[in-house]
Amino acid sequence: MNWNLETEHFVIRLPLADQDGDALFGLLKNPQVGAHLPRLPMFVSVQSLDELRRATMRFQAREAATWLVLRRSDNVDDLAAFQARITLQNINWMLSSARLQWELADDVKREELAEMISAVESFCFDELQLHRLELRMVPEAAEQRANAEALGYQYEGCLPAQMEFDERWIDQVLYSRLATDRV
Amino acid sequence: MQFTPELNFDGGRVRPLAAEDRDALFRVYQQPELPGQRPLQDPAQLDRMIELSVQMAATQRGMMWALEVGSEGNYELLGVVGAFDWQPSMLRITLRIDGLPELGCDLRAAALETCIGFLSSKYHLRNFAFQWVDGQNPAYRDMLTRIGFSLSARQRDGWRTAEQTFVDVELYHRLLDQDVPDPTARAGE
Repeated sequence: MNWNLETEHFVIRLPLADQDGDALFGLLKNPQVGAHLPRLPMFVSVQSLDELRRATMRFQAREAATWLVLRRSDNVDDLAAFQARITLQNINWMLSSARLQWELADDVKREELAEMISAVESFCFDELQLHRLELRMVPEAAEQRANAEALGYQYEGCLPAQMEFDERWIDQVLYSRLATDRV
Repeated sequence: MQFTPELNFDGGRVRPLAAEDRDALFRVYQQPELPGQRPLQDPAQLDRMIELSVQMAATQRGMMWALEVGSEGNYELLGVVGAFDWQPSMLRITLRIDGLPELGCDLRAAALETCIGFLSSKYHLRNFAFQWVDGQNPAYRDMLTRIGFSLSARQRDGWRTAEQTFVDVELYHRLLDQDVPDPTARAGE
């Protein structure tokens, strides 16, 4: 099974643990990138190496997959900067469900996100035979909630006090998209 | 070392699973509560479950109690209270009850209250979840709200019943810093 995906404008690939650390740090040091989840920004590049190691272990255990997204370009700078990290986690093979999350560079537009997520969804539903993809994010993440709804994710409710973050309890809104939602 | 305590409530008790519960548990799992589950075929599977209940409690991954009704000297095992998806750092856990049809809502509610009381006082858990799967007894939903749970979300196709069939799951939560409504009060009073 080929887990590396390509779209018209993007290469969506699994990480290379020994090569992607600096570029991943470049993406995840921006506090806005993971604020909707929520996740703290990275402060030192060694954190990205640790994330890549963990991602490799979770992938080998078939518990999760991480994709890094590069813009297809002839420009060397574009090839050195990740546009997004997309993570599929909490894969439950018995229930055919998983949790999806995205962390986007500031300049990624909604139609570009749609292109990336469409490719990931097709892989999840058609290749992995998953039935349900779920998104969780903080209620105040207006832009990412709008993105989710524009991509066809349906609001299911709000789960209270899911984690403690920055000295307060965080609720998370829940969205889903089913294989059968696709037209 | 005993991590799962025996706890009494009005009309029954919960207590740790023991090897001699195998036959009674087998009777419980002949009538599975969740849609799509089949009756248990092999009683030996319960030996493993009983072992696992001890390991889960010792490592703070979950807890299982035998749910018995009756009084001192005359208890009958009618179900199991399970606590799983334990997130100690997030202070949350998910509860479930597998019981025979004769285990009524009042006893289920009393058992849940008792286990919540223990888990909150011993482990400081404050966020309790319960999943109601479409097809389960609808009366359980009223029972949950009566003891302070609120419906948080309805997961579309969150439970698989067969190879290609799914049903929805309702997620209920109870946060302990919220007031629990008085179950004897009537609306408008």
